[in-house]
This record gives sequence, C-alpha cells and structure tokens, in this order.
Amino acid sequence: MSDHRPSRLVRPETLTALGIIFLALAFLVPTTGLRPISALLPAAMLAGLILLSAILLIRDQRRASAGSKTAPLTQAPRRVIGAFALIAGYAVATDLAGFYPATAIAIPLVAWLFGYRSPAGLALATTIVVGSAWAIFDLGMSQDFPAGRLWQ
Amino acid sequence: MYSDLLNALPEVLGLSNFLAVIIGVIAGIVVGAMPGLSATMAISVLVPFTFGLEPLVALGLMAGIYNGAMYGGAIPAVLLRIPGTPAAVATTFDGYPMAQKGEGGYALQVAVVSSAVGGIASAFALMLLAPPLSKVTLLFGPSEVFWVAVFGLASIIFLLGGNPIKGLISACFGVFVSVIGSDPIFGTDRYTSGQLELLDGISIVILLVGLYALPPVIDLLETPLKTDGVNSSKLGTEPIWKTLPRMGRFWKTWLRSSFIGIWIGILPGAGGSMAAFMSYNEARRASRTPETWGEGEPEGVAASETANNADTASALIPALTLGIPGTAVAAVAAVMLGGLLVHGLQPGPMLFRENPDVVFGFMWQFLFGAILLILLGGSLATNSFARLLNLPRPLLGSVIIVLMLIGVYSIHGRMFDVYLMLGFGAIGWVMDKLKFPLPPVVLGLILGGFAEENLRLALRIGRGDWTVLFANTTSLVLVALTVAVVVGPMVKRRLAKRDLRTKET
Amino acid sequence: MSNFMHKAVLTGAAIMLAGAAWAEYPEKPIEVIVGYSAGGGTDVMARTAAPFIEKYLGDGASVVVKNMPGASGQIGITEAAHADADGYTLGTFNLPGMMARTIDREAEYDTESFTYLANVVNDPNVIVTRKGSGLDSIDKLIEEATANPGAVTVGMSSLGGDDHFMLIKLQELTGAEFTIVPFKGSAPARTALMGGHVAMGILNISEVAEFQEELNLLGVATEERSEFAPDLPTFKEQGVDLVNGSMRGFVAPAGLPEEVEAKLVEAFAQLEADPEFIEAMNATANPVEVVTGAEFKALTQELHDLAQGVWETSPWN
Repeated sequence: MSDHRPSRLVRPETLTALGIIFLALAFLVPTTGLRPISALLPAAMLAGLILLSAILLIRDQRRASAGSKTAPLTQAPRRVIGAFALIAGYAVATDLAGFYPATAIAIPLVAWLFGYRSPAGLALATTIVVGSAWAIFDLGMSQDFPAGRLWQ
Repeated sequence: MYSDLLNALPEVLGLSNFLAVIIGVIAGIVVGAMPGLSATMAISVLVPFTFGLEPLVALGLMAGIYNGAMYGGAIPAVLLRIPGTPAAVATTFDGYPMAQKGEGGYALQVAVVSSAVGGIASAFALMLLAPPLSKVTLLFGPSEVFWVAVFGLASIIFLLGGNPIKGLISACFGVFVSVIGSDPIFGTDRYTSGQLELLDGISIVILLVGLYALPPVIDLLETPLKTDGVNSSKLGTEPIWKTLPRMGRFWKTWLRSSFIGIWIGILPGAGGSMAAFMSYNEARRASRTPETWGEGEPEGVAASETANNADTASALIPALTLGIPGTAVAAVAAVMLGGLLVHGLQPGPMLFRENPDVVFGFMWQFLFGAILLILLGGSLATNSFARLLNLPRPLLGSVIIVLMLIGVYSIHGRMFDVYLMLGFGAIGWVMDKLKFPLPPVVLGLILGGFAEENLRLALRIGRGDWTVLFANTTSLVLVALTVAVVVGPMVKRRLAKRDLRTKET
Repeated sequence: MSNFMHKAVLTGAAIMLAGAAWAEYPEKPIEVIVGYSAGGGTDVMARTAAPFIEKYLGDGASVVVKNMPGASGQIGITEAAHADADGYTLGTFNLPGMMARTIDREAEYDTESFTYLANVVNDPNVIVTRKGSGLDSIDKLIEEATANPGAVTVGMSSLGGDDHFMLIKLQELTGAEFTIVPFKGSAPARTALMGGHVAMGILNISEVAEFQEELNLLGVATEERSEFAPDLPTFKEQGVDLVNGSMRGFVAPAGLPEEVEAKLVEAFAQLEADPEFIEAMNATANPVEVVTGAEFKALTQELHDLAQGVWETSPWN
C-alpha cells in the first residue's frame, strides 16, 4: 500500500494534467496586467486549459483507483533523453561554434551513437548533407548560417 | 482581357522561362519533401536572389516552387507522418495508414494526381475569373472574416480524435499560442517577456516542425538498432498509368475539393491548411463508407491534396488584385507579393493593364507548374524519395535534425526560432505519446489570433456594438453554415439512434 | 601616469584606425541591415539603392543587404545601433515608426544612437474615401466628423505609425473626431475601404497610386503636389495645413569616423540627381526625397518630439 500512493501521482497523464494546470496558472499572472479586451481570449483559453486538465486529472485518478495501470511514456527513457540532449546540444553548438563544424560533427555522432556504425556511410552522408547545404544555401542563395558566437 | 492572356503565352514558352518553372517544380517537391523545410522558407530564401533575374524567370521559379512544395509536403506526410508543409497535415490522416498497409506508393500517386487536378483548377480560376472573384473578396470585412475563422475553428470538432477532452486541450493550446506576440489592435506585448523575436507571433512553420517532425525523429532514434527504413518493395510501386484508372472514382471529391480550395483561397486570411481540413471533412461526410476514413482511405488523401493545391493560385487573386495575401499566417502568398514588388509589379487593378505580359505569363506558369507536377512528381516521388527513406534509421534521424535546423533558421535567420522549435518538439513528443491530437493545435494557431483580430476590428467599426457581427447577409450565411456544420451531425446521430431504437422495438 | 599613457595609446590607435579607414574606406563589403523581410517596401528600397551607393562610393565598393526581420523593424534597427561604428554596418531607418517605438515600448536605442546619413524616401499620406460614399471632399469629411463625433470609421495600418500621426494632426487641426480601426498593414485597410466596411482610409500615396479609379482621393499631405498623382491637390491648397508622411532612410551607429561619415553622406546626396535611380525607385513605389546629415537628424528629432507630445496627451496603447 505504501508504494501504491506515489505511483498514483506519477502516472503520465496525471503529471501532464498537473503540468498544464501549473503552467496555465503561471500564465494567468501576466494576463491580469492586460486590458480587459486584450485579456479576453487568452484568459478564456487558459481557463479552458485548467478546466479540461482538471477533468483529465480526475478521470485518470479514477482509473488509477480502479486499478488500471498505464504504460510508461517510453520503453527506453535513456535513449529518449539522450536523443533530446543531442538535438539540443547540436542547436547550442551551431549557435556557439557555427553551423558547419557543428553539423559535420553532429551527423556522424548521432548516427553512430544510435547504432549506425559504418565509417564509409557516415563519411558519405556527412559530406553530402554539409556539401549540399553549402552549395545550395551559401553558394547558390548567399544565405548566412550562424558563424558561431565564439569566434566573433 | 482574354486576348492578353493568349498574347502572354509565347513568352512563357521561351526556353529560360519554361526551364524556370521546371526547376521550380523540382525544387519545390524536394523542399516540400524534406521534413523541416517548407515552401515559405524556400521562397523567402529565393526572393533576394531574384533581384538579378528576369521577371518571368523569377516568377516561374516561385510558381513552380509553390506548386511543387504543396505536393512535396505529402511525401513525408505519407511515408513518415511528418507533414512537409502546414497544408499537408490532413494528408497524414489517411496517407500514413496507407503507407503502413504497404500502399504508400499508391498514396503518393493519388496525392500527385490530386495535387495536379487541384492546381490546374485553381490556375484556371486565376486566369479566367480573377477580377470577378476579387469582388467577392471585397464582401468580406472584419465581421465576415471573423465568421470565416469561427467556421474554420468549428471544424476542429471533427479533428478531436477518440478523446474529446484531449482534443479540446490541444485546441486551447493552439489558440493560446496564437495570442503570443503583440496585441492585434494596440500593439502591446502579450506573453513575450520582452523578447522582440516573439512580437510578431509564433510562425506556424516553427510550431509545425517542432510538433510534427521532432517526435518521429526521436522515435527513429529510440527504436534500438533497427536499421531498416521504409522499404521500397513495401511501397507497392506500380507505374502511374496503371493506377490512374483506379482513381476515376475520385472525380466527385476532386470537383468538390477544388471548389473548396479555390473558395478558401480567395477569402482573406484562411489558407491551404484550412482548405485541406475542410475538404477532408466534407469528403468524409459525403462518403458512403465514412468508417474507413483515417484507416487508409485513398479518397482522404485525394481530398486533402486537391484542396491544398487548389488554394495556391486562387490565393493570388486577392494578392494580385487587392494586395492582400490570402493568408497572414502561412505566409507563402505574402512572400510572393514581395517577389512581385521586387520586379516593380505593384498589386492592384492597374497591374493587369500595365504589365499584362508578366501577370498573365505568371498565371500560365501556375498552370504549367500544376501540369508538370504529374510528370515530375509522378516519377520523382515514388522512386527517388522512397529510396531516400530507405536510409538506416539513425542516419535518417540525424539528417532530418539538420534539415529541421536549416529550415527553421532560414525563415528569419535567427537561432531563437530554433530553440523555440525544440521547445515545441518536447511538447509534441509528450502529446504524441499521450495521444493528444495535433491537428487542433495547428488549426487553433492559424485561426485563433486571426479570429480575435477580426472580431476586435469589427467591434471597433461597430463602436462596441455587438450586433455589428450580424449586420449583413454574408455574416448571417456564415453563421448559419457554422451552426449547420456543428449541429447537423449531432442531429443526424440522434436521428440515427432513434431509428435504431424504433427498429429494435 | 599609466592611465594617461593608456589613454594616449588608445587615442593614437583610434586616430590611426580612423586614418586607415579613411584612406581605404570602403576596403570590405558594407552591410546594410534591413529590419524587414526580403520583398517588403524598405527592403526593396535598400536593394534598389545599393548599386547606386556602390557607384557613388567608387573604388569597387560593395553593399550587401542583410534582412533581420521582426518586431516591425525593431530587431534590425537595434542591431544596427549597437554595431561597430566603422562604416561597415549601416541600417535602414523608418520614420516615424522607429522613434515611436522608443516611446511606446522599451527600446535599446534613442535619437542619439545613430549617425544620420540620409533619408531617401518620403511617402506622403493621403486621405481616401470609398467611391459613391458622398464624402468626396475634405470639407465634407470634416463636416461629417464634427457633426457626428466618432461616426466616421478610419481604416489605417497599426497605431503609432505615420497614418496614426496624420489622423492625430487632422483631429487637432479641425477638432473633428474619428473612430480608428487599425488593420495589420495598409493593404487590408484599403480592401476594407473598397468593400465599404470603413468610411475613410489614411494611406500613403504609393499605396493608392494603382487604385485611383476605385477610390476617392481627397488630398495629399505635402507642401507641393506629388509626382505619383499630379492632379491630386495638397491639403494646404484646400486650406488644411496637413503635412505628414512615412519616411525611409539610412543610418549608421553613432560615432562614425568623420571622414567615413562625410564620404557616405556625399554618396547618398548624389542619389537625388540620378534619374536612373529615381525611375527605379518610382517603379517600386518609393517616392524619393533625399535629406542628408544634420537635416535628417533634425527631422528625426522633430518627429520624436511630435510623437512624445502625442503620447503624453493621448497614449495609444
């Protein structure tokens, strides 16, 4: 019984509903500073989110007390978190070190870490992607990609 | 005026002008097919580049890209459930289930033929009916446009999916995102926390890439070590001339969806995604087997793809005659107007008199772009792209990540948008796992702020008097339509239940 | 002592740098930051002007346009204000919008943040009404708005822009009262007017030049008649002292080396006499009126003070 209680609160839908309610309440704070006519639609939407999430929460808790189990969000949480971290890391690296270096490292790194380990294939894919990005955007359309804040 | 139309033809058929359309269509298909890249981004990258080109070469490229991308967006929508453009969201409903059943090739062929049908119908509307149709646009002032937006929002109820509560949460979220930015009337900040980048509102492309493209990428990486992609043998590729006869039965849907697409196109502000959603709903309603929809019904792909291409040329009717791009959110027509201005072509009634060669030439290019879709799209799509998706999953995932960054960064040339997209990606992943439907978010974002803006303009015109919203026939017709769309199915269901009960007793 | 040395070295270096810049300026491409997307009015002005500026700077100078759209140009102009003052980063500048932003929201720049090079475009305001609405002269319009305060709805683009200041001037001059309906941009305002959803519109002359047959043009807010509509009388001719418009020009960050500033201003000053330039600008709906250097700065200050005055009596948000 003692381990039943926490498991009721960490059900994904319950957590999501609580998260939505919390965020919507947080957004209601700046809403009060707006003119009534400006605040009308956002306030209605936030109220809607809170109400609907509350219903979602109650339903999910009812299901929990009825003893139903929910599937976890993912079978491989470490892979998911790793993938997110790599993607975010790639964006930050592009910002700091520049698009070309970041991309040249990111493509083989991500593919290698997630199981594609053929060196020739990695080299080829990286060359094609970076090369065509450069040829089409930089050379062809004179678009600037981030040059990297570190070197500026 | 029609003689001007014919006079413009020889110029368009010149080598460089025609080549521009071909290159544009191919580029458009490629851009549309790359998850993360969008037509809006492609044309905004292209506009500065066209300063040095002949007008018809530049416009041909743009017409080609627009047409190509509207179809190209269907390719990843079908194969990966990532809509390549906002307007391809409705294509995922039946396209992706078809691909899973091993009919991906057929789905793409239906998509390319339907796209071409819609595009051709729309080009003819633009060529033959632009001036009279622009008169229709004038009927739509703020209060009428508000009702159009409400009508569009009402169709969300058909997109709620299995769990209405979750669907409504999605819709509220979408509408809330649409109010972030500057207040439509006063220009004061709403929820921007001082970020200038948020002041113009959140671009639909950023939201779309985040919500739709990131979760599948995570899935590609999550599934351990599986290195098979979408197998081309499973696509069921048959030559297109063999499958064409099977599409004959779509003629009603093609007709209806073209009509809806053209109609939505000339209304200020709505745009391709609303056209696709509406025509999908209408086609399902008219279908004799509505229960197969969403499970891989080719007619659903036909409805969505016809409508989103039928919206392209007709969106240029208000753009060329009145200077208002068909849509404020998915800004393709707006960016194209910029491309016209670059060449000294200022929209307005005089445009047709002062530069008939270029304007009518541009219209021909739209028509040729739509026709070329079948030739170029038919062969390109099923062969090259399906094979591209054959890449090992981790590699495909990492390439899509790069494309997403390029696509989002290039719209405004700033990293802020990329971070924003990642934020939406995280939200999208949770929504995807918990089965919150995504289409209501898209529709909410497109129509929410738009409805608010026009409501408040209407109220200003009425000086605070709400009856201004019901003051004329156009508004009342729209209100009646909205009520019919919302209440009609409920009544029908109630009646069907009663029928059942009377039969049982 | 060491402090003095430090200063002396720095000053020396600065002089040398300035000297070097003058000797060879421009020795690398000059970047012009445009605060709007490619294809917008301001962008087209910058791109049309670029080759002419290159021509007058001479020595194989090269001008590159960079778009930094967002927040009605505020992102771009803020970037330009904070760029290195070496003459290799310029920005496009819109009046009265850029000054109004320093008043109605937080801005990281003010009138002193720039070296004023040249205002190139002056697009005067016009007042238009729908054909067949009966309000076919400025007198009738004022009469109606005075008799029924607020009954005349005015379509225009957003608050705090040139259209809005034009209306405020009109209200102050005549005491008439109007109801403002601020659309997102001029084209939707013009369309609403043509459809009869609003009674009058305040637009710019370049925006109605193509629509002269569809709308009643009541007058233009200039000292002298505009080339874009030579038959259209000014408001002054009709006894209403209204002069207002939307302006677009070029600025550089404050503290530009004097020699560089002089060279740039000289290049811009030659634009007005170039018929080829005027023609290219007219084709893209940009009526040319070049005002350079100190005069441009005075103009900016004047508009800033006007906006400040308006803000204090009747803030618009």
